[in-house]
Amino acid sequence: MRGHRDLRRACVAAVACALVAALVPLEIVRLAAALPLALFLPGYAIIAAAFGSREPAPPKMITLSVATSLMVLVLSTFVLNIFPFGLETASWAVLLPLIVIAASRGAALRRGRPQRRKSRRPSLPRPSTGSVALGVAALAIAVAALVLAQKPLPAGEAAGFTALWMLPTDSREDVVAVGVVSNQRHSASYRLRVSLGKSQSKNYRVKLDPGEERVYEVDVPPRASGRTHVVASLYREQRPGRLYRRVTSWLPRQTTFP
Amino acid sequence: MVQARLESLPVIALSSAIGLFLCSLANALSRATLAPSPLIYWLGLLIIALPIFFRLSSTKPSYRERLGLVLLLGLALYGVKVVHDSILFTFSDEYIHAFNVHNIEKYDHLYHFNPAIPTSPFYPGLEGATSALTMLTGASTYVCGTILIGVARLVQMAALFFLFARLSGSARGAGLGVAVYTGTTNFLFWGAQFSYESLSLPLVVVVLMAFVEREEAPASTRAAWAVPIVLGILAITITHHLSSYALAVIFVALAVLYRVMKFEKPNPWPFAVLAVAAALGWLLIAARSTTGYLFPVLEEAVKAIWKTAAGESAPRTLFHQASTAAETVAATPLPARAVALLAVAVLGIISLVGLRQVWRRERGRPLVLLFCAFTVAFFVALMLRFAPAAWETGNRAGGYFFIGLAFVCIYGAAELLRRGPKLERRRLLLTGALGIVLVGGAISGWPWDIQLARPLRASAEGGTIESEPLALAEFAGKRLDGSRFAAPESDARVLLTPGGQVAFGGQGPDVEDIVDEPELRSWQLPLLESHHLPFVVADRRNISEDTLRGEYFAVPGQYGTDLREKGVVHKFSRIPVGRVWHSGRIVLFNLRDRP
Repeated sequence: MRGHRDLRRACVAAVACALVAALVPLEIVRLAAALPLALFLPGYAIIAAAFGSREPAPPKMITLSVATSLMVLVLSTFVLNIFPFGLETASWAVLLPLIVIAASRGAALRRGRPQRRKSRRPSLPRPSTGSVALGVAALAIAVAALVLAQKPLPAGEAAGFTALWMLPTDSREDVVAVGVVSNQRHSASYRLRVSLGKSQSKNYRVKLDPGEERVYEVDVPPRASGRTHVVASLYREQRPGRLYRRVTSWLPRQTTFP
Repeated sequence: MVQARLESLPVIALSSAIGLFLCSLANALSRATLAPSPLIYWLGLLIIALPIFFRLSSTKPSYRERLGLVLLLGLALYGVKVVHDSILFTFSDEYIHAFNVHNIEKYDHLYHFNPAIPTSPFYPGLEGATSALTMLTGASTYVCGTILIGVARLVQMAALFFLFARLSGSARGAGLGVAVYTGTTNFLFWGAQFSYESLSLPLVVVVLMAFVEREEAPASTRAAWAVPIVLGILAITITHHLSSYALAVIFVALAVLYRVMKFEKPNPWPFAVLAVAAALGWLLIAARSTTGYLFPVLEEAVKAIWKTAAGESAPRTLFHQASTAAETVAATPLPARAVALLAVAVLGIISLVGLRQVWRRERGRPLVLLFCAFTVAFFVALMLRFAPAAWETGNRAGGYFFIGLAFVCIYGAAELLRRGPKLERRRLLLTGALGIVLVGGAISGWPWDIQLARPLRASAEGGTIESEPLALAEFAGKRLDGSRFAAPESDARVLLTPGGQVAFGGQGPDVEDIVDEPELRSWQLPLLESHHLPFVVADRRNISEDTLRGEYFAVPGQYGTDLREKGVVHKFSRIPVGRVWHSGRIVLFNLRDRP
């Protein structure tokens, strides 16, 4: 590939991007490396190999490079799926640079002896300060629009709720976890009662802020035979006489349907 | 001078950003349950599009500036979808495809079962490509999927521009053609969701663009243009069934037209053979379940057309939801209906003028003739909206026919913009017409009551709270890894993603009746057992079968408050079986937990 600077750069970039994507733990850095590796370089190398020295004009070349990269990604999933290791970070980090290097080699062969090619860099006019300022403002407003869309807002009319759940903590089923999750718009207080069979029960006072969850682990007394009926009942502090939520379980659980 | 400045690309980019912000603001107010005026949103949409349409109608911009404008248009309108629900995928098909990505990441291989659309894992193009990004970046499926569909959208806009420019010989016409295309009913939301067609349709456009470029290229580069065509055909085949069939039909039609018209260029029959063989081969070898998924829908559509035409069944009322929504939804207001119908009328007029011009000047070219046929087919497909079971088929087919319609409209617009007096006024008239087409398409393409976002997560006293179905899905994802559920369809979707559970809803198997009926019937428990579904979601919300509206907070006085009979919950309590989760209107039962 000597003399074909674009192809050499594509190969180096592909290997570097693959290494960064596979090894660097920072998501934003991996994203910056993976996007060109997955969405541009394979297509660029393949289109360069297909067209040799008669590449289309830059706008079409870029469009074709991105489109072909999408096609390569789609078809590569099919190829990687054949192998036992399948689709994983390492297989992608190896396959994509391989495609880029192989196609770049093909492109260099098709182009033949490198000649001093005319610069294909598009001659863009130098933007004025005003244009740059407008562009930056546009970008800032667009980012603000996206940030606003991501932000959870107070939904004043939405109907809040509190959920109660219960599950055994492990396969032995001698301890249950009882959870209370508040999705109310305001803080609220509850009384939680967990009854274990006919004789035992435990009581808890629960105060929850919006979005908060409390989990209580309760030992289930062993029984010689049969099952222990565990019932968790939740009452609102201001209406203690009225059942608000109830979950139940018979432990140990069966494996068959009714 | 002032006008030149106002029409400059940076100013137009600024107006697009302001328009996008207004759309985001309208959605934010709606999520905050403040019931904002929808005018804010529509104004935002027009602020994005109208300056671009106006500039595209000018003779002044260069080829590259026009390309930049259509890319800006595509990006900004995609942004409108992104700001609609920008924390999670929330469109009904998005849950299904995100679940497939989740499965690929989990098992490192393709084709794992999807209970919502069992055919979808056998078209793994989108999910495979997205999983490549999630694995390489460590980012979420939402982030990677949004980037991937955004890139595909930009490719589609650029490829359409090149296609139209090459066929019409006019960059100005090409820009206007792309502007018309944004008025297709599925452009704003449906075609921008994380779904296989959102990737395959852009690839179809790229293949058509490469085909046209190959036609016009010197003999020395024809083979080179075949590379993206062949790769594109293969990639589309394993990405989306309907797109691969549409592409095969297009190439077969072209091969026939080339033969019949004795066209001087090489007949594209090799591409037709490849497209047909690939689509059929994939259908027969890998994706046999497609026949059971797709063909009943088409059969129902044909039956519905026949019955409606014969007067045996009443025609569908336009602008009414044909969804499973048991809760009454707000009807599309009269002015909005008028705009949608006006958009069809505008398209009809422009395309009629365009067809006349195309027939006069370009009828010797097979692809142009095919596009004329697409234009006629688009208006025929519109008639399918009157047949109850066929409207969706017509709507989906319209997305492909619209490519031809947009091309024909270039010639109609050119007639309006011919040199002469009052050109500026005519430019304004065309800009307004394109605005009506865009807004009308958006109104027709997405239910009126959910054009603006609903609250899924909300802030409250410094914390973040979630809707009932989402809270259940988060609980299941954290505590019940990989369990099997029967649930109302909307709950089932959320349990797929972000819940990561195997959740069945709908009618295959008939979970819908099990969770909707207040009485426990003799067949119901055996059916759940035979499909190994121990967890059953009993949801009293009427809206829980509605996959477009069911996952959000209920807002008293607005939506989500109609309830089913108490029996939908009590019938399981009476068995009795264990109650795992109780959040008021949703109860999760475990059928294997019993005395």
